[in-house]
Amino acid sequence: MSENFKPVTLNFGPQHPAAHGVLRLLVQLEGEVVNKAEPHIGLLHRGTEKLIEQKTYTQAIPYFDRLDYVSPMCQEHAFALAVENLLNIEAPKRAQYIRVMFAEVTRILNHLLNIPAFAMDIGAATPMLWAFEEREKMLEFHEAVSGARFHAAYFRPGGVHQDLPENLLEKMKKYFINFPKFIDTLEELLTENRIFKQRSVDIGILKKDDAIRLSCSGPVLRASGVAWDLRKSQPYDVYEDLDFDIPVGKTGDTYDRYLVRMEEMRESVKIILQCIENIPEGPVMVENNKITPPKRSEMKNSMEAIIHHFKLFTEGYRVPEGITYKSVEAPKGEFGVVLVSDGSSKPYRCKLRAPGFVHLQALHFLSKGHQLADVPSILGSLDIVFGEVDR
Amino acid sequence: MSPNILQKYSNGNFHFPIKSGIDNILVNKDAILEVTQKIKEDEDLLYDQLIDITVTDNMLSKSSYSNERFTLIYSFLSLKFNKRLFIFTNISEDNLDINSITQIFESADWFERECYDLFGINFVNHPNLQRIMNDYNFQGHPLRKDFPLTGYEEVRYDENLKKVVYEPVTLKQEFRDFDNESPWEGMKETIKEELEKK
Repeated sequence: MSENFKPVTLNFGPQHPAAHGVLRLLVQLEGEVVNKAEPHIGLLHRGTEKLIEQKTYTQAIPYFDRLDYVSPMCQEHAFALAVENLLNIEAPKRAQYIRVMFAEVTRILNHLLNIPAFAMDIGAATPMLWAFEEREKMLEFHEAVSGARFHAAYFRPGGVHQDLPENLLEKMKKYFINFPKFIDTLEELLTENRIFKQRSVDIGILKKDDAIRLSCSGPVLRASGVAWDLRKSQPYDVYEDLDFDIPVGKTGDTYDRYLVRMEEMRESVKIILQCIENIPEGPVMVENNKITPPKRSEMKNSMEAIIHHFKLFTEGYRVPEGITYKSVEAPKGEFGVVLVSDGSSKPYRCKLRAPGFVHLQALHFLSKGHQLADVPSILGSLDIVFGEVDR
Repeated sequence: MSPNILQKYSNGNFHFPIKSGIDNILVNKDAILEVTQKIKEDEDLLYDQLIDITVTDNMLSKSSYSNERFTLIYSFLSLKFNKRLFIFTNISEDNLDINSITQIFESADWFERECYDLFGINFVNHPNLQRIMNDYNFQGHPLRKDFPLTGYEEVRYDENLKKVVYEPVTLKQEFRDFDNESPWEGMKETIKEELEKK
């Protein structure tokens, strides 16, 4: 470099297609080499935590769909578990199976957005079109159970909102038995693709120690060779009874993170098929009308049911005093809810621990010394969604 | 893990029911650096991951679990022992300073910035204590309980001035804040009893 060389500061985003949302990234460049990458976040800050404090526990559920809007049900799951923990109740077995099944559908949905988006960032356009077709088919399952494609509000404290519609399990079974074939075709496009590998192998290497030090979780941590998955280590709902493997990477580069996500989809299919096989009959909600609404049919005949219904949708239910922390293995990593209740029917404080927030913090560490063109590759492999980063 | 090791670092108990079986200690805010260093390095603890730092504003809380205005909740995870830990620290309204733990846990950086932005906790020796969630010129700390939900300022693009303008919030209708809490004390007891029966 010449002596009178001056570093350039580049403003990447907030409106940039490779920024995966509204990320403002200040990149300090020395030639084409990144010296410093400073993310400025908060452009999508909606004050979710403050809003939740003003709402009853039931009204707070839809906010969780809008955090990480590509994996809505996993976040409802964390909130439902936290409230159940404070209330000291447990969802019925059938509800637990349904929740696990749909958490895995959501995981596949999430990876089917992230992988092709990542591929598109580094030059492959086809996977996006292929994956979106499959996503649309899977969103139909979301729609069948909850009535909504994305903002489901389906997992409630005490179970799930409604039982599965008729024939859904057969349809899902038929679809997911064939789904690994689609993963194969997707892999044919990418895994051994020369351009794809040149843009991703040995880019953004995160070693084991660094991944732990930077509080990474989920696929990012696993790609660095740490066999850690909350579904195995701190199982919730029925994950304990299911048989699945945790894919782990070796080098921790962006290519490994891609491979881990690919394998995770195959494992998710395994889990879904097991759930379909083993799902028991029974109620899908705790049958305690102080917490869960009574059935419509009951309300036609019972005065008490009407009173319960009215009380639940005005006052809500009161949750005993306490603090709890419940976390789930969301597709992006550990999503947790710190819930503080002071005994009223509204959460006193609800802190959302988003995996993307922590991963984005590691961006500077990962991109330092790389070329500017590698930054979108690293960013894509971290799986950032601003709904949850900014909250 | 024996609780004795944790008790070594603890300054008394946190009088609040903590569910989900997470170990927890209450420490003095002056000791936070020392304690986090120890729990990270102690061979029997090895809390190597910082999961979260958050704050509760105790101003309106109906339960008196803390006499001070703010409670900081640090949450740690030990990958080796598969254990979680909460560290509680009370901070008074008069002195919002606390030592930053960024030199021990690097990932504390953004968590502390968030606590500063939303609650106004001042982390001493933090490398870059700036707002993170809110606008660059934002005033106040929105997650405090005395900050109104609707805020103070609103933003819009002015077609005539060709720029974004900041104006005081004007509500088109009165802010609706219904108190639906049942006035009957009995409700609370009934739920409690029913839950205990289960």
